[in-house]
Amino acid sequence: MEPIPVRIASIVRPSEKLWSYYIWTSILSGPAFPVTILLLYFKYYTMHYRFDAEGIRMGWGILFRQETVVNYARIQDIHLQSNIIERWLGLARIIIQTAGGGTMGNLTLEGIVDCEGMRDFLYSRMRGAKDPHRAAPPESDLAATLRDVAAELRAIRETLERRGNA
Amino acid sequence: MHEIVKSWLLRFLRVPPQPQPPEGTPESIQIFRAGRNYYKWILAQFLLGRAALGFVLALMFVLPLFSKKEPSPAAAAVYASAVAFSVFAFAAIVTAGYFRLRLDYEMRWYIVTDRSLRTRCGIWSVRELTMTFANIQEIRVNVGPLQRVFGLGDVVVTSAGGGGSEQLGTANIARFAGVDNANEIRDLMTERLRRYKDTGLGDPDAPVPAPAGPEDAARFMLAEARALRLKIAASSPTD
Repeated sequence: MEPIPVRIASIVRPSEKLWSYYIWTSILSGPAFPVTILLLYFKYYTMHYRFDAEGIRMGWGILFRQETVVNYARIQDIHLQSNIIERWLGLARIIIQTAGGGTMGNLTLEGIVDCEGMRDFLYSRMRGAKDPHRAAPPESDLAATLRDVAAELRAIRETLERRGNA
Repeated sequence: MHEIVKSWLLRFLRVPPQPQPPEGTPESIQIFRAGRNYYKWILAQFLLGRAALGFVLALMFVLPLFSKKEPSPAAAAVYASAVAFSVFAFAAIVTAGYFRLRLDYEMRWYIVTDRSLRTRCGIWSVRELTMTFANIQEIRVNVGPLQRVFGLGDVVVTSAGGGGSEQLGTANIARFAGVDNANEIRDLMTERLRRYKDTGLGDPDAPVPAPAGPEDAARFMLAEARALRLKIAASSPTD
C-alpha cells in the first residue's frame, strides 16, 4: 500500500479560515445567529481528521458525536463546491460520495486550504484512477542477471545437442 | 463591453479558471463545451420569462391610468415613484440575469479522459464533479422535443453514489448539459467503459501483474542447469 504524502497526513484539524466562514454563515442566518454561531463553534472546535493509508476518518461534536470512516477505494465520486464567501476566504468543500443510499453516502471535508491538492490526492486513491492496462514493473537487476545465466546454460546445452547430432 | 464586465465579474466572484483535467493519458483528454445553440436556448427561455414579467408590470401600471377618479397629489407621487422604481428594478434584473446566463454558458466544461470524467459549472456556486469510469453505472442521453429543434442533448452519467442532499441536488449524476454532440460523447464513454468488467461498487482494482522476482529467475536457471546436466550425462560414455 502506497504511503500517503506528508502534506495530507499532517492534516488533523480544519484551517482557521473555516471559523471565519462559520462566523459569516451565522451572520447571514439572521435571527438564528446566536444558535447557529454556538453550534458552528462547537463543530469547528471539535472537528478532526485523520488520513491514513486506507481511508479518511472525520469526526466532530460534543453531545452528539459523529465519526465517519471512508475507505478510499469505496469513493464513487468527488465534488468540489464553493460559494462566493468560501472563495473569498480561499476555501471549498470537498464532498465525497460512497455507494450508501440517501444523504448518508456523503462525507464533507471542510476547512481544507489546498482543496485542489486534496481532490487530486483522493482521486489518485479512487478505483479506476490508475491505468487498468498498465504494464508490470520491470524486474530487478538480480532477476535479469539470473535469466542471462539461464540463457547461457541453455546455449551450452543446445551446442552440446548439435555436436551430439553431428 | 461584455468582456470587461465578464472579467470584472469573474474577478469579483473569484471564479477559478478552467479546471485541470483529471489524471489520464494526455492524448485521451477531450474537453467538451455546451453548444452555441444551448446559449440561444437558455436565452430564449430567459427572454420569454422576463417578457412575461414585464407584461404583468406594465399592466399593473397602465390600469390605474384608466381610472375616472382624479388621484390626489400624494397618490400621484407614490404612483410615479413606484413606476420609476419598478422600471429601474426590472432593468437591473434583466441585465444581471443576462450576464449570469451568459457566464453560466461560458463557464461550463465537460472533460473526458481514458479513466475518468470531470464536469464544472456555475459562477455563484461553483460545482465540480470527478468520477472514474470504473464507478459509472449508467450513461443516458436525454433529448426533449425543443432541444431536438436546437440540435442539443444532455448526456447524463450516473454512479452508485448516494442519492443526494440539499447541497448537492442529485449528487451521483454528472450532466453534460446542452452539448451538440451528445451521441458522440455517449459512444466515446461507452467505449471507454468497456475496459471495466466489475460492478463499480467498490471492488478492488485489478491487481497489477507482479514483477518477475529473483526467485522465479533462479527457478528458471535451475531448470536450465538441470537440463544441461542431464544432457551431459546422456552424451557421456557410461561406465
